[in-house]
Amino acid sequence: MSVQLPSFARGMLRYRSTRITSEGLQFLIFALAIGIAAINTGNNLFYLLLAMMLSLILVSGIAAEYCLRRLEFRRHVPDLLFTNTAVTIGLVVKNRKTRLTSFSLRLCDVSDDHVISPLMEIRALPPGESRLLSYQLTPIRRGRLRLSGVQISTEFPFGLFTKRTCFPMEDMVLVCPELQPIHERLLRGLRTAGHEQSVHRRGHGSDLYNLRLYHAGDDSRSIHWPTTARTSQLTIRETEAEEQRRAIIHVSTSVPASHEALFERAVSLAASLVQHLTHQGYSLQLRIGAEGSSFGQGDTHRVELLRMLALCQRTAPTAMSMRQDEWPGGYLEVNEGGTVVLVQAWSDSRDGEAELPRVFVDGELISGAAHAD
Amino acid sequence: MPISQALHLTSMLLASASFIGLTLGAGLPEWLAALTGATLIAVLLRNIGIKSVERFTMQMPVSAIGWNLIVLGGFSGFWIDLLWISGDLLPAGLHFLMILLVIKLFNLRLRRDYLHLYAISLVAILAAGSLTTDLWFFPIFSVYLLAGVWTLLLFQLTKHSEVSGDVGMVMPIQQEYYEESNRVSPRFFWMANGLAGGAFLITVIIFFTIPRVTAGVYQKGFGENIRTSGFSDRVNLGSIGTIKRDPSIVMRVELPKSPSRDSRPLYLRGVSFDRYDGKVWTNQLSHRRSLIEESPGTFVFRGKQAVARVQRGEAIQQKILLEPLDTSVLFAAPFIEGVSGTFPSLFFDDTGAVYLPFPSSSRIEYTVVSRPTVLVPSDFGYEPSQYPETLVRHYLQLPLQSDRITTLAEEVTQRQRNAYEKATAIQTHLTSNYRYSLDAPLAEQQQPLEEFLFSRKTGYCEHYATAMVIMLRTIGVPARLVTGFMATEWNDYGNYYVVRQQDAHAWVEVYLPYSGWIRMDPTPTEDNPAAGGPVWQVFGPMMDNIRLQWNRLFVQYSAADQLAVVREFKAEGLSVQTKALDSVTALFGSFMAVLSGMVTHDMSQVRIGLLGEILGIVMIGLAMAFWLGRSQPWATTSFWKMTHSDEQVIAQLYRRMRTYLTGQGFSSSTAIAPLELVEITRTRWREAHSAVALITELYCRTRFGHIPLTSEDVKQAEGYLCRLLELPKP
Repeated sequence: MSVQLPSFARGMLRYRSTRITSEGLQFLIFALAIGIAAINTGNNLFYLLLAMMLSLILVSGIAAEYCLRRLEFRRHVPDLLFTNTAVTIGLVVKNRKTRLTSFSLRLCDVSDDHVISPLMEIRALPPGESRLLSYQLTPIRRGRLRLSGVQISTEFPFGLFTKRTCFPMEDMVLVCPELQPIHERLLRGLRTAGHEQSVHRRGHGSDLYNLRLYHAGDDSRSIHWPTTARTSQLTIRETEAEEQRRAIIHVSTSVPASHEALFERAVSLAASLVQHLTHQGYSLQLRIGAEGSSFGQGDTHRVELLRMLALCQRTAPTAMSMRQDEWPGGYLEVNEGGTVVLVQAWSDSRDGEAELPRVFVDGELISGAAHAD
Repeated sequence: MPISQALHLTSMLLASASFIGLTLGAGLPEWLAALTGATLIAVLLRNIGIKSVERFTMQMPVSAIGWNLIVLGGFSGFWIDLLWISGDLLPAGLHFLMILLVIKLFNLRLRRDYLHLYAISLVAILAAGSLTTDLWFFPIFSVYLLAGVWTLLLFQLTKHSEVSGDVGMVMPIQQEYYEESNRVSPRFFWMANGLAGGAFLITVIIFFTIPRVTAGVYQKGFGENIRTSGFSDRVNLGSIGTIKRDPSIVMRVELPKSPSRDSRPLYLRGVSFDRYDGKVWTNQLSHRRSLIEESPGTFVFRGKQAVARVQRGEAIQQKILLEPLDTSVLFAAPFIEGVSGTFPSLFFDDTGAVYLPFPSSSRIEYTVVSRPTVLVPSDFGYEPSQYPETLVRHYLQLPLQSDRITTLAEEVTQRQRNAYEKATAIQTHLTSNYRYSLDAPLAEQQQPLEEFLFSRKTGYCEHYATAMVIMLRTIGVPARLVTGFMATEWNDYGNYYVVRQQDAHAWVEVYLPYSGWIRMDPTPTEDNPAAGGPVWQVFGPMMDNIRLQWNRLFVQYSAADQLAVVREFKAEGLSVQTKALDSVTALFGSFMAVLSGMVTHDMSQVRIGLLGEILGIVMIGLAMAFWLGRSQPWATTSFWKMTHSDEQVIAQLYRRMRTYLTGQGFSSSTAIAPLELVEITRTRWREAHSAVALITELYCRTRFGHIPLTSEDVKQAEGYLCRLLELPKP
């Protein structure tokens, strides 16, 4: 059973750090000089001035402490972040004190002891009021971004010291790979492969799939009237399903450490493909190394695939991993129809130079598929 | 008022406080004081927005280089002042400081300039503290503290933000502006004054508790000592008359063991003189020897050092606060037995006078135990007096004079048989037949004593004392002239004697064979001017008492006082309850005593008691402020209480409504906002919509808008809730 500390005790135990400002340093030097003069001369009026300066230091600490107490924070973060893409993050600060205004607050967002936001300043936050602050965050790495808390500091009241504390506020957000426009050659390759390997199935769509006799329960709006008139039998027009287009995106993860940057570009290219093909209505499956997703469509599935790409890791090349990264011709799904896109950052057949990731569409290399930076 | 303008004003106030302090303490040259004062007023008017002053100051075409050159010129002036005008580092430095202040006031552009101004003002107030110990420093210091808190506060709030260097992704700082934060609001006003008050209280606490580690012996003073006369080894007849019209306070004397007023005046002996040449008194026995230091700071007469006395009277303890004088004599009631104070050493001469090693340049406080001689019956006998040779040589010396004085002395004492009776007869003669007057320019006369005794018959204490001494010596009675002060002014508020320059006095000590040196005063009472005076004079003693307490508690406060306070607490530490009771009793008892001046008590306890009072009041003040801040008793009244109670009632009704709707399947998640719930009922349960909307509106109005509910509102909400609960399930 955990013991709940009273709020004031929690407040006292919360870590505070105090740094002296340049003005504060000058102030302390003056105080020290007056102290020496007081000791040297025994002049009580010097002691009085020294006491005044010490009291200002003390008041400074107390007022700064009150300034930072009973503040409440909320953070608004988008669900998905993309590498090298700026997003706006909102911070709401509320002063829960009943009578005292908090002055000169400076806030910044902290991720694992690193400040990730610019300093944001609130000059005065009256009691009971709240302020919304926002800042632009541009993640530089994919993966999980842990926003651990809000660092808040104040130089109130006299600017002699900066009192700083960190309010824990955990938020875990996913940073997806950077999305880039798909190269025209790759788009052309995808279109060609789509036409050649499309699977004709009945379903909702606009293209004609088949004509058949009317059965009870069929939608009367689907009756093909010209054929009905010609044959004198109610004939139904069936359409070809549009969502039939399927694709498997395979990202090879067997990449030596020297090709880390190339791997990141391959992942980014795969994420861009996921984004593009989802918008094109493809049913997608993503295979990363030995792992893979099921086929799916829509935004939820897209987010799931992007999440996989955000978290995938490079592995050192081994015989097994390289076998998995070879052309996946035996996939059952492929036999049922669909496009297989292999995104390869490295292959032992290459000479090892850092170039662009290679893209195979249905086993055919699309040269120049990736954008050069 | 905008914060930036408030910062200008408080900066001016800060500079003004330090300037006034320095002017009062150092006595700046008139031209410099006028220049600085005029500059302060001009800059203040410019900040207030007086157009003509703004135009005038804007027309000063001085660039940054020009200001630097002016500063260099001022620095050159400092050296000229140091070498040829003042000839001393401190006054020259202070003059340069004021010049810097003037330059900086005209050149307040950057924040750095403001910092320079604050540093100059701090040095100025520090210099004022080193140059004075007068009471006026306290209000100046208080104003400086208030202005300092305001200035630092506003300076911080107007500080422009700087980009932090440790930010990984550097972006410009975001700063939030809104109208209220740029103005001094009433809330800000009270907050700043509260901070200043808190800082003041903490200052007092720290001042009394900070350990006193004093490397120096005396406080260094810079002000001129009070000029006295009559207390050196050589005194012209009539020299005391020059200071008899000066009301400056030279000392305050407390009598700890008899704090009530005595109808008799208190004679404070300085030095005595044995040789008179007709115009000048000299002390031939002025050879000084060291007094024995019995314990640190306590000096006593021992053995041969003690002045021979046959019988001693009751001891008189005096606590004396002596202003800086131009003499090294320590004054006390005759005859001194021991002296306590922070002295490195003390000296005495053969006449019983006690001296410092050198005149003190600051106030000193010392305690003296004196024991007067008493008249013994043997001296009333008719035996012819026999005196030691030393006494005869020094105290029967006579100047060249006419026989008229001898004849007069014999005439006055012809019927008396012993020395005491003769002395009394001469004293009576002088007090009866002569008139006191300060308008007696006898010093210019060739034979001032004869002029006094036979022609003018008016004079003041020196003439009377000299006449008596010479008349006694002519008839063979050893006598000497003593100078000192006669304290008659009693301060009822502080229970002490106030001694002024005009109380300087001369009297006679007559040597009697069995009693020793007996004090006699032949000066008749001065014709006092009419009693009373302006109403404000009534406050004089009160102000003087405040001045004394300022000196005791602030100027003279020392490590010994701190130890005394600790000992006092230890001694009284019988039990926590008893101590608390005693402290409360002592606090209010002593406080009332000081206010009324009616209660008699030991003055050493008053000092500790006063210190305890101040600390006690400060602590009580802090405790009350803390209590008020925590409990906010004003918040328990009327509006707030009603609002708080309304909030609880409507929140309870809303909670019941929400629970009911959850049971009906409308509010399965707590994430549904109040207005969202209203919208849901509008679409899915139209019959309940009006009730839900009203209760929600009242709830939001009270909970978030802090608008109080009326009793009708509450009744209406309750009615709607009942109706909602009675509705058939959807």
